[in-house]
Amino acid sequence: MQLLINPSDELPIYRQIMRQITEAIAGGRLKSGDKLTSHRELSEQLVIAPLTVKKAYDELEALGFIETQRGRGTFVCATLPQPDYEKQMEQIQAAARKLLSQAYLAGLRFAEVVKALEEAERELTKGPAASQEKESV
Amino acid sequence: MTPILEFQNIVRAFKKGVPVLDGVTFSMQEGEVLGLLGRNGSGKTTLIRIAMGMLFPQAGTVRVFGISPTGDPVAVKKRIGYVAEEQVLPTGSNIAELFAFHRYLFPTWDSKLERQLLDRFSLTGNAQQIRQLSKGQARQVALMCAVCHRPELLILDEPAGGLDPAARREFLETSIQLLNREGTAILFSSHHMNDVERLGGRVVLLDDGKVRLDRQLDQIHEDHCVAMIPRSAVPDAATLERLPGCLRARPVFDDWHAVFQGTPDAVRRELQESLGLDGIRCVSVPLEELFVEMVGSSRLAEASS
Repeated sequence: MQLLINPSDELPIYRQIMRQITEAIAGGRLKSGDKLTSHRELSEQLVIAPLTVKKAYDELEALGFIETQRGRGTFVCATLPQPDYEKQMEQIQAAARKLLSQAYLAGLRFAEVVKALEEAERELTKGPAASQEKESV
Repeated sequence: MTPILEFQNIVRAFKKGVPVLDGVTFSMQEGEVLGLLGRNGSGKTTLIRIAMGMLFPQAGTVRVFGISPTGDPVAVKKRIGYVAEEQVLPTGSNIAELFAFHRYLFPTWDSKLERQLLDRFSLTGNAQQIRQLSKGQARQVALMCAVCHRPELLILDEPAGGLDPAARREFLETSIQLLNREGTAILFSSHHMNDVERLGGRVVLLDDGKVRLDRQLDQIHEDHCVAMIPRSAVPDAATLERLPGCLRARPVFDDWHAVFQGTPDAVRRELQESLGLDGIRCVSVPLEELFVEMVGSSRLAEASS
């Protein structure tokens, strides 16, 4: 998968990498057992310091998303961290309320919010590149 | 462990009573990447020249690999690679002659790395005259002279100065590869914040002859913010700068802009409490904005004064 970073973003580069990898796992573009690009390769691909890549991978490993197998490389974990369902649902509901109130304040209708969610779903499962192509058409 | 580079209370003035460096202290460990930032005239080049033993500090001590760069210049220069801001290459010779000279000077010269880099930079015409090189190519040749003896410390003074974006990126790609393959420590000065972000590591900001900020880049991102406070709430910048965590405050039109250490939420809460007013905004900012807030001048609206 292709990662994109923006050095002038206020989010540190290692966080940008973490976010894209977790999004790819959430959307199924990266599956359990898939091999990740090596530190060195990714560092040279993105033209960023090797330590930045290492930091992103280390944090993802600590969170239980990926694992390093010595001498073989870094892989998406066979069993991904299982979050507490009820706690997650609570947070999602709170986020949904916030999303809806923001949309209604902006004068949007419910159907438009659903459309935005569908768009986000496509982006998550097909990758940002796919949705960009769609936009430019 | 001995730091590979150590500045202690460095003072240097070019005009009596107007110090460019006024007590600069920091050190670098093996394999560390450090970006030296600051406005034009803030003393970045002066400091680098002191590390290279090209200038004496008027007070303070400098040690490279634990050695004085003016006391034993050969021992130090053997282990350093240096690309100056205004690199001067001998215009009368060609690339092959220049490298032959360096191979003679540096016993550790790596001819394999030389060939790899020549190939990478498409500098195939080894007999190419130096005076015929473009600015970008000359910079690449200078970089090769600085790295092919596999230094433990690479010092780049504004490596990207005057290069086009593509040449800058190629230069950066090479530096990243060196980091990957050699683990060389790099001290570089730059005005290109995106390049600083890409090279990562630690940032030292010089201002007013002193070190104003010395932190890891990630910490700067995650633990600093800019607070915007109505001008009427505080009498002057010094009052804000006395608050805990405040690094710098300056007036910008009808607001104070103050750089604080801390997350935006925490800083906003503390400010609301200590100043007793609402309407304070705190935001995380990219490095470029932080740089401007830390060393930029006051901007007063003419109409309001």
